[in-house]
Amino acid sequence: MNSIFSKRRARLLAMKAMRDNYIPGDQLTVCPKCGQESPRREVAGNLSVCPKCGYHFPIGAYYRLSTILDPGSFRELNGKLPAGDPLAFPGYREKLAAAQRKTGLTEVAVTATGTIGGQKCVVGVLDNRFLMGSMSAAVGEKITLAIEYATKNKLPLILFAASGGARMQEGILSLMQMAKTSAALARFSEKGLLYISVLTDPTTGGVTASFASLGDIILAEPGALIGFAGPRVIRQTIGQELPEGFQTAEFQLEHGFVDAVVPRTQMRDTLERLLRLHGKGGQP
Amino acid sequence: MLKRVLIANRGEIALRIQRACRELDMETVAVYSQPDAEALHVQLATQAVCIGPARAADSYLNQDALLTVALATNCDGIHPGYGFLSENADFADACAREGLTFIGPSGDTIRKAGSKSAARDLMKAAGVPVTPGSDGPVSSVEDALAAAERVGYPVLLKASAGGGGRGIRRCDSAEALPAAYAEAKVEARACFGDDEMYLEKLVLRPRHIEFQILADRHGNVIHLGDRDCSIQRRNQKLIEEAPARCLTPELRARMGDAAVRAAKAVGYEGAGTVEFLLDSDGEHFYFMEMNTRIQVEHGITELITGVDLVRQQLRVASGLSLDMTQADVSLTGHAIECRVNAEDPRQDFRPCPGTVEFLHFPGGAGVRVDSHLYNGCALPPFYDSLAAKLMVHAPTRLEAIRKMRRALEEFALEGFPTNAELSYQILYHPTFVRGGCTTAFLEEILPRLLDFNRRVDQHEDTL
Repeated sequence: MNSIFSKRRARLLAMKAMRDNYIPGDQLTVCPKCGQESPRREVAGNLSVCPKCGYHFPIGAYYRLSTILDPGSFRELNGKLPAGDPLAFPGYREKLAAAQRKTGLTEVAVTATGTIGGQKCVVGVLDNRFLMGSMSAAVGEKITLAIEYATKNKLPLILFAASGGARMQEGILSLMQMAKTSAALARFSEKGLLYISVLTDPTTGGVTASFASLGDIILAEPGALIGFAGPRVIRQTIGQELPEGFQTAEFQLEHGFVDAVVPRTQMRDTLERLLRLHGKGGQP
Repeated sequence: MLKRVLIANRGEIALRIQRACRELDMETVAVYSQPDAEALHVQLATQAVCIGPARAADSYLNQDALLTVALATNCDGIHPGYGFLSENADFADACAREGLTFIGPSGDTIRKAGSKSAARDLMKAAGVPVTPGSDGPVSSVEDALAAAERVGYPVLLKASAGGGGRGIRRCDSAEALPAAYAEAKVEARACFGDDEMYLEKLVLRPRHIEFQILADRHGNVIHLGDRDCSIQRRNQKLIEEAPARCLTPELRARMGDAAVRAAKAVGYEGAGTVEFLLDSDGEHFYFMEMNTRIQVEHGITELITGVDLVRQQLRVASGLSLDMTQADVSLTGHAIECRVNAEDPRQDFRPCPGTVEFLHFPGGAGVRVDSHLYNGCALPPFYDSLAAKLMVHAPTRLEAIRKMRRALEEFALEGFPTNAELSYQILYHPTFVRGGCTTAFLEEILPRLLDFNRRVDQHEDTL
């Protein structure tokens, strides 16, 4: 009987996920990387990964959660925590309202508890469609609350980063979130708990410089841009040409910043295996 | 007061009437067809009598059987509910002949309100605005062409005896009219045995606004506010709200007056509904038709007025006068109803009755569910597919929308597909939230909602 309500929950999350990614009709989708056309149905069936070249289309937060968590296990944490406008920054409120209307999210971060292969965990996702996935005080608070929830309940933590950095409209307050999330993670780490950070396209700025780089295990999606400052800024600053594939996930893997590059279609299985390896009893 | 009432109906409305009767200390006699033997209205009635096999014509529409049962069980009233015999003037007359109180208006009133062209003339005479059209029936194509020229295209050709969307044709030009006229005439003869046609101007993208009427035998007529039933597909309503968001208090008062005049014009008694089309300019309204029965969506009016309509029907039928005046009626808050039907939107809304394997209704403050379903019961395929009416009531429209979303999220039914998810999607649609829906809305967005639905299915399969 419990399974009926969990089926309802799974259905509701699937609807939310589809709201993130829905484009009407069944025309062809053009891949921005290889330029080839694929039927939308085929792309959707492949978790929004180009079936021809493996390009990872950007996806929304709920969509990502629906692909990671066991159906029906999703339970959102602090779903309604809103962004404020602490500096009364001109035009910021309107921008927030427009982003909320467009995405149906209240903020960049969506945090939830759920199970992956039956193992309970806390998952946070940043959504790049909402003001470039920038970190505001509310985002930092949500992430911190999720970390603290995981600490208190002794649960493994998985965070999917996708961000353009700190949100400039909140000035120093958004930069302070770097210290806040890092401190929360330090307390989390002291308890000996597992934190897996997954870097998706793009992970830059203050997010890279704080919680995204603090994972016990750091995974990345193929082709994701990962760095602090962007390549154009670096090129202009140092006045040199940058190496091929600079700041891609593969480049960072080669240089030791990332532990593994995992395609989206294998992400769920990989996470399940990692949780099993590092969980209580540690079964392979 | 009536002592014992025969309920000549089934499903949730039979249950609804039973509840009102029991609260008034009236005994109830339920009737049922063979496949309905286990139905909830049979289980809860004071006594129940089987009146025939599954086919409605042999059971719920079988006038002789109903009257025989009513007399044999010493009933003094018959409540017809909605559908079946509720708007059958001959049945109302037959009840009167047998000395039984038909809970509804008299046969003559039903006849006056039922014939569409006669009703038009009556309403015009009473000063109720009607859509411009032919004055009375059109007897030939030439007649129709002349009338169409006068009111301007597009026009609708309608059968005088019509209903349920049959015998109606739309014409956009004089060239298309002769063919449409012939077609509609043939269809009308086939469906209603009467091919009298009339013509009226087609109001494009209207809203469907209806007023709830209560009248007693002593000449008191009041209205209990309005309902917006614009969310419909092929004339089947899906979501209704009360009061309509698009009416200003001034327009509501004008339309309410017109509705009361309409009811007085036909000498109405009991609970009825006057339907109007509201033009897209939000200013002009036209009388569409009068329903001489309790309606499916009466519950939302009950929620915003606090008046028990079926109780009022029973009181009026017992000869009592209304216990309220127009000044006593105030509309509080906002109510929404979603009809949950056993039909599959993915397969062109094919009815798909079945057995309820698991059922959970939403609850909490401001939520009302009228349904005849229970765990393990069967929904027979022989009658309409209404499975439940979900209603919510909240201080504001937005709160009501949120409450309905929440209620639909809680609602769980296993055993057969329903349209509940479609309603859920509509409750998130920006046009609906803004309150901008016309009768064209659902048909326009349906392909997209269904496509979305398919994609959600596909996504679930992928995982």
